[in-house]
Amino acid sequence: MLPRLRRFADVLLGEKKEGKALLRRALLLMLAEHHRYQRGTPLDRWAFTEIYRLWLAELRDHADPLRQAKSSEEDFDRLFPKDRGADFDAFTATFLGQLPPPQRSTLLLVYGEGFDYEDAARVLDSDADTVQSRLIRASASLADRLSSGTPARTNASAAIETLYPERPQQYDHDRAQ
Amino acid sequence: MTELSDELLVAYVDGQLVREQTRAVDKVLEHDDVIARRVEALKDAHGRFESAFEAILAGELIEILAAPMLPPKVKRKRGNGLAKIGIAVVGIGIALAVLVGGYGRSLLLSACSVGMTGSVAAMQSPPQSALGAH
Repeated sequence: MLPRLRRFADVLLGEKKEGKALLRRALLLMLAEHHRYQRGTPLDRWAFTEIYRLWLAELRDHADPLRQAKSSEEDFDRLFPKDRGADFDAFTATFLGQLPPPQRSTLLLVYGEGFDYEDAARVLDSDADTVQSRLIRASASLADRLSSGTPARTNASAAIETLYPERPQQYDHDRAQ
Repeated sequence: MTELSDELLVAYVDGQLVREQTRAVDKVLEHDDVIARRVEALKDAHGRFESAFEAILAGELIEILAAPMLPPKVKRKRGNGLAKIGIAVVGIGIALAVLVGGYGRSLLLSACSVGMTGSVAAMQSPPQSALGAH
């Protein structure tokens, strides 16, 4: 389970060093507050939830949370193995690196961990509709870029947000996070 | 051309639709090339996300495996304490059995009898000082 938790923290933070530090703090917190664990809850889901909750709490303490949540493309690129094979997808890696952390985490939980929308929403302290809208925006945006062959060099999150102007509430919800 | 939203198509690609909805989308895909191309693009995006996250997980595993392993802690030999306790218990048991079984009792009795006869004899015989005085 440890590699999966590390991946979640790293993808959330967008870099390895901070991701590791967040995971360590979250694990210590979980040990200290193990009484909050409810029997029957899958341990991995609880751990993901605690990592995300801690990240959110720490982010709120910053004067400029949105700026703090941004990571550089270079840092995100380092999440991938150094000895990348020929099948390394730089296009998608760049695209993911430009997404806001909640959206990236949503994609990871659903496409990486195989969670259903409800479980992913529980981890992210959100609802299934928000999870679904994040998936739609990200999938549609990447599909558009793949179809047009446009490299993901521009600010992908800004481009994604304009795809669904009819969903202002969910957009606001995402930005608030 | 049929109008199907990305919302529906993403749910279709993710396998989140119920069976009837899936069949309905399947039928549309059979005769609508535009929708079929869109579904293919979404499937491609889905597959790329999965591969990217798998690659990151592989990176984590490589990093964990490459980390220097700490030497195993040498366990301090604490001796076979349980065996020692067992031997002690058996020893005490044997000692008690010997004591109760007769050897100890006879020894005790003989010691007592020797002591008693000695004291009686001592009481019956006059003291040396008294003999010397006569």
